[in-house]
Amino acid sequence: MKAHKKEDEMFRFAEYSAEAAERVGYSNYSYWRSVFRNFLKKKSAVVMSVIFILIVVFSFVATAIGRYDYAELKSSMLEAFTSPNGEYWFGTDNLGRDYWCQVWYAAQVSIKLALLVAVGECVVGIIIGCIWGYVRQADRILTEIYNIIGNVPTIIYMTLIALMVGQSFLIMAVSLIAFGWLGMARNVRNLVMMYRDREYNLASRCLGTPIWRVLVKNIFPYLISMIILRLALSIPSTIATETTLSYLGLGLDVNTPSLGLLLRNARSFFLQYPYLLVCPAVIVSLITITFYLVGNAFSDAADPRNHV
Amino acid sequence: MAKYTVKRLLQSVLTVLIIVTVVFLLLRMLPTDYYFTEEELIKLSEEEKQDRLMAAGLTDPILVQLGRFYGELVRLDLGTSSRVQAGLEVTEIMTSRFAVSMKMGLISMGVSLVIGIAMGIIQTLHKDKFFDHLGTVYIIFVNAVPALVSYSLILVFGTRIFKLPSLYSTNDVARTSVLPIVCLSIGSIAYYALWTRRYMVDELNKDYIRLARIKGMSSKDIMVKHVLKNAFVPLIAYVPASLLLTIGGSLLVERFFSIPGMGPLLTDAIGRYDASVVQGCVIVYAGLGIIGVFLGDIMMMIFDPRIKLTGRGETR
Repeated sequence: MKAHKKEDEMFRFAEYSAEAAERVGYSNYSYWRSVFRNFLKKKSAVVMSVIFILIVVFSFVATAIGRYDYAELKSSMLEAFTSPNGEYWFGTDNLGRDYWCQVWYAAQVSIKLALLVAVGECVVGIIIGCIWGYVRQADRILTEIYNIIGNVPTIIYMTLIALMVGQSFLIMAVSLIAFGWLGMARNVRNLVMMYRDREYNLASRCLGTPIWRVLVKNIFPYLISMIILRLALSIPSTIATETTLSYLGLGLDVNTPSLGLLLRNARSFFLQYPYLLVCPAVIVSLITITFYLVGNAFSDAADPRNHV
Repeated sequence: MAKYTVKRLLQSVLTVLIIVTVVFLLLRMLPTDYYFTEEELIKLSEEEKQDRLMAAGLTDPILVQLGRFYGELVRLDLGTSSRVQAGLEVTEIMTSRFAVSMKMGLISMGVSLVIGIAMGIIQTLHKDKFFDHLGTVYIIFVNAVPALVSYSLILVFGTRIFKLPSLYSTNDVARTSVLPIVCLSIGSIAYYALWTRRYMVDELNKDYIRLARIKGMSSKDIMVKHVLKNAFVPLIAYVPASLLLTIGGSLLVERFFSIPGMGPLLTDAIGRYDASVVQGCVIVYAGLGIIGVFLGDIMMMIFDPRIKLTGRGETR
């Protein structure tokens, strides 16, 4: 009896301790340090990220340094279609209102919406994706939901929401997240399934590592690269969806200037007055293209397989 | 194969049914005022409105209405429009518009399939050289820049340089359709080019290609007989996705060029709260998407006998 008890005591699960782990196999490898080192090696990506940050910061400064405030814009037919000059830096629109503050305000709205949606998609997508990949019973029902939602263009759902619920910044953000998490969750699920039953994870689980630590420490690093790539795609695509919906009159409400709304108003005029198209188009394209490229480069740098 | 096809078909029908039901229930939650034209709304008294609703069966319990709706759906009766074109049958309004959208969508899908795959092949052949980089720039541009901005650019260049008309007109269908088709195609072209290139490059690195080279097969033969054939299979799987892209794009393109297709009908109907027209349009769009994904799966199976979707897990 006594000997049996002793055996029980002899095999206890050791608590995780960073110190003990280091003593066994010390390595000064740090995941994030390697990510940044790899990223900084790519000069073009660094330049792109500097441009991106500058534009985003400037979009908030620009409305402040402009001569006109968006809330106090007055239309005056006398000054309609003034080409860009010292007074109106981006000219004026068809109602003679300053275009500079409209464009930058719209850019701000787009950036805010895109960031909010990207983060929301990420959080919801990762959580559901991990459950989807790890819990076998959930696989079937989530796959069905994915099929139902994924087989119909998102824009159809968005139009329905605009009809049923209404149009505002918040409604749009929530509904974009509600349909956007699918792609992220699907990718996370596939990767989690791929890495879930690798030998080192089986070993980890046999040794009593809690599931969350297996997920966070063993599986998550493989997901980061994909997640960042998704983020990089999500921001341009959110901005695109917003412009499309606003152009169709189903996006943000009419009092929030957004890129879609600006281009919608300019549609009949920009063939004669190209600056009405060029100014917003250049700014928004710079934002989306730089972010897209930076995201791609960062995603490459975040792949642990590229670190060795 | 037959068993899988039937199973998959039933699944698709079920999906359509679920979406149709949800749309129906959602639209019934709207205030009943929207079943009248704007004129009637002012003229009619409350009682008259109630009588009308009773007569149309809109005050029945929701399940009875749903049952009746299924019955009408089977007979392809989508009700009558109350606002967009008051009094006309929804099916009647949609058929002519659907033909316009369908023609344009199919042409653009064909164009993008041919140009996209050709572009991917050219990129692979000139890997890491000028044409490859040029193609990559195009793909990045299309993916990153919002569709509305690129459409506007196409519009400006198309009208200024090629002197093409900027709005669709039924008098000159051929010339006025050029720009909309270009706009509809640019997204799918980038899509096909990206994946063609990726699959072909993957395929080129495989051992059997090396063997074929050693055997002395000409590189043209390798490309056509091995690489392209194998890379084509996964590409087929992207046809449905491209269909969804085209549907989504058509909403914007048709409004942008004032094409009398399905897109403007849907947005008009939403703007004026015409429930039965919205319902009809959503059913058509959802049905198209689901049929597209279904056909894509079946096509992939026909093109690649190795894919057995019936016995998942056993074959691996």
